Amino acid sequence: MAEMQKSWRDGALRLSTLPLLVLMGLFFVIPLIMTALLSFQGTQYYRLVWTWDLNVWTDVFSQIHYWKIMWRTLTMALVCTLLCTVLAIPIAYGMLHRLSRWSDQITLLMVFAFLTDAVLKTFGWVLFLDRSGVLNGTLESIGFPPAAVNVLFSPNATMIGMVYNLLPYTIFTTALSMARIDRDLVLAARDAGATRLRAFVEVTLPLAKPGIWAGAVLVFVLSLGVFLEPKVMGGGTSPLAAELIRQSFETRVNWPLGAALTLVLIVIGAAVLAVAGALAFWQARRGSND
Amino acid sequence: MTDQMEKRLADFVLYGSVIAVLIFFYIPIATLILFSFTQSRFLSWPISEFSTRWYGALLADRDFWSSLGNSALLAVLATVFATLLGIGGAFAWSRYKFRFQWGFRILTFAPLLFPQLLLGVVMLLWFSVLAGWLNLSPGLWSAVIGHVIYITPFCIVIISVQMQGYDDTLDYAAEDAGATRWQILREITLPLIWPGIFSAAIFAFLLSWGNFYITYSLSGSTRTLPTFVFSGIAVGSSPIYPALATLTFLPALVLIFAVGSLRKRAARRRLIKIAEG
Amino acid sequence: MASPIIQATGIEKYYGTYRALSNITLSVANGEFLALVGPSGCGKTSLLKILAGFEDLSGGSLIIDGQDMAGMPASARPTRMVFQKLALFPHKTVAQNIGFPLHLAKRPKSEIDTAVRRMLELMHLKESYLNRYPHELSGGEQQRVALARSMISQPPVLLLDEPMSALDAKLKKSLQAELKHLHRHVGTSFVHVTHDLEEAMMLADRICVMRAGKIVQIGEPSEIYYRPADAFVAGFIGDTNLLPAKITRAGEGFEFSCDILQCSAPRLGADQVAAGVAAGADALLMIRPEMLRLLAPGESADCTLAGTVSEYFIRGASIQYRITVADTEIVMDVPGTSVLPAKQGDAVQLGLSLSDLFAVEA
Repeated sequence: MAEMQKSWRDGALRLSTLPLLVLMGLFFVIPLIMTALLSFQGTQYYRLVWTWDLNVWTDVFSQIHYWKIMWRTLTMALVCTLLCTVLAIPIAYGMLHRLSRWSDQITLLMVFAFLTDAVLKTFGWVLFLDRSGVLNGTLESIGFPPAAVNVLFSPNATMIGMVYNLLPYTIFTTALSMARIDRDLVLAARDAGATRLRAFVEVTLPLAKPGIWAGAVLVFVLSLGVFLEPKVMGGGTSPLAAELIRQSFETRVNWPLGAALTLVLIVIGAAVLAVAGALAFWQARRGSND
Repeated sequence: MTDQMEKRLADFVLYGSVIAVLIFFYIPIATLILFSFTQSRFLSWPISEFSTRWYGALLADRDFWSSLGNSALLAVLATVFATLLGIGGAFAWSRYKFRFQWGFRILTFAPLLFPQLLLGVVMLLWFSVLAGWLNLSPGLWSAVIGHVIYITPFCIVIISVQMQGYDDTLDYAAEDAGATRWQILREITLPLIWPGIFSAAIFAFLLSWGNFYITYSLSGSTRTLPTFVFSGIAVGSSPIYPALATLTFLPALVLIFAVGSLRKRAARRRLIKIAEG
Repeated sequence: MASPIIQATGIEKYYGTYRALSNITLSVANGEFLALVGPSGCGKTSLLKILAGFEDLSGGSLIIDGQDMAGMPASARPTRMVFQKLALFPHKTVAQNIGFPLHLAKRPKSEIDTAVRRMLELMHLKESYLNRYPHELSGGEQQRVALARSMISQPPVLLLDEPMSALDAKLKKSLQAELKHLHRHVGTSFVHVTHDLEEAMMLADRICVMRAGKIVQIGEPSEIYYRPADAFVAGFIGDTNLLPAKITRAGEGFEFSCDILQCSAPRLGADQVAAGVAAGADALLMIRPEMLRLLAPGESADCTLAGTVSEYFIRGASIQYRITVADTEIVMDVPGTSVLPAKQGDAVQLGLSLSDLFAVEA
């Protein structure tokens, strides 16, 4: 109804939006601009110097070291996104349609696992996978050689940690959109002669696509910025971009470099999101033309 | 492939994946709980002797208590601000229509699309400048702001979802019955979206409580539990952390099941309404 | 007529450039039951919202209970509304719902309690319902609670926005009767929006038919039914027969000629022709299905039609026939009988009285 149409002179609209706008402006938009500006400065003896030049940028683009780390970050993020997205589909479906009686309890168990301190959980993985950890200790006691599973402190361990910490996002978004699908549509497909798998592929998957996409986007973005898993589980052997950024602020105290690397990562993230968005849009348009 | 075989295979994959993922999710959690009861200084399996000595050691650790205090203060402040802002934001998101609404939505959702570390780092740069001007150094205050920026979008989304089924005519009916705008809000709207607000607050609290990246970048020398643990395990695994984990899991579990039962009650009420048309 | 409770003069409503209401002038007498009817999109709901204060006027004036409504919010108006979807507050009990207007007005608890119980009685609701929640009631009971909430502060005007549209036919009938009874009992003016002209005729003292943002006709139910202003109003209820005819003036009255209607003296009185019909022009003769009757062989009537039965439907109290006369399909309702008076394919003679005819503009 027309009453909900608000003008910017409306008190309720101002009350509900202005504090947020001020907050986001002051502490999100301005900092982003600041970051962009800082990347054109330099450092001397651990102090910021307002040089207004492109030194940091030429540095970032000319050193193969940075390229390698950015590439590794991007591939790790993409692999992690793919794993989380694909794994979430049977999990979400099974939760909703096989264990539906328990789906509330399962959801709560997942939310709990998801919301507990990530640092502690990552540490828990170290204790589990360690040479003398739960896994290897158990294997040894049933006759395997000592330290049979030697995965900790490798990129694979990093990936386990990343998938562990990010999988809940894709499960939740996928389950949300699958739960909204009218079961009669699936029955109609079965009635029309589709096998279970066909009905799933032809009806459930396309209709759950918004949730699957949303989860994938979230996971991709979050996986670009991890340094906890590479450091704690990967043992720092193959650092990712976030570690580089952390170091440039912390150990090297080179803020312009940190700012530039941050921007590079933001741009990579935005570029992948833009491609994904364009693909989704193109597909939606093609779908509507059919 | 026969239909029966297909069904059995599907059941196997679906049941199996849910059970597998639950085990996967609880591996580190169970590991921590197990190790919290070890007697040994070294966290190696199998545990030869059980004790609660590390709980004692943890409770005697002054850094633990100060981190706990900081975590609690940070989480409470972030929850209050993020929930209040989230209520306003959710109204603007889903109940009002206004010019530049899309811009507003994008701006208030954008922090969710940022890797947390970058969000923290970007703010850190600005806070350092501000701190230079105002003669402050980053600490709990900047961590609170960082958490609010990061958590508010979650609150907006959760409360908006609660508002999805909201019937606008209830507001008109209240107005028709003589209610002022404030009375409508207090008597009708807030009680009806209360489950959403409550879950947003709990969610906000837990997100803030367990947050690592933003606290790490913004809290200066102030330690919260996650950064306290991180700095501890970075130097070598100390046996007090499993005890710490076990102790902090309990309140989170209680909070989450509180939200669960509340949501279910609200959902049931709505379901009956729909069933009766 | 005493001074009207609602006086709307020249009301205009624009949504952007779309003109939703144009030049609506309407008055409702104290204690009157007025029905606003029309097809969806005719502006009846917009008009109701303007009366309630949920929409602003783009032009014109509105006076309710002697006060100018300009700029007055819905909460301060002397009107109460019953919503289409009822809008019962799901988190409040029946008692809290009904007493809500008094609760807002900060009346003492004892007074609210007495008033709620009085309403409960008036609406034939059980006292045990007081502490139930709306979702625990049946559709009809929810309806009564909504009515009770709107009536509790004894508003001079009650606005009803198709409150029965979601109910099944049987429940609707009984609630209509109750609503009529309630209206007589409380003496409040009712303005009732509906798209169902049958409901409007049953309930209202006067009916206002709207179309495309304009008032087409206001009048008592019999006027609307037997003396429609034009073909639109005539066709708005039931299956009306509209036969093309030519009208010419003849003294005080009119003469007409219609190809498929044989009349011994084709004359209409001055009151049998709608205002817009120009003499000598094409017109439509309106024949309600129940005005036609089957003629026995040799029986005569003022006017007759000869045709063949193409279809019939047994509707309980009546039987509806579709009869092909020349190339035109004629609808006829005859009282239901256990022995069918005519079957498919039968050649039949239909008769009607001249006084039942009414001509509207073509």
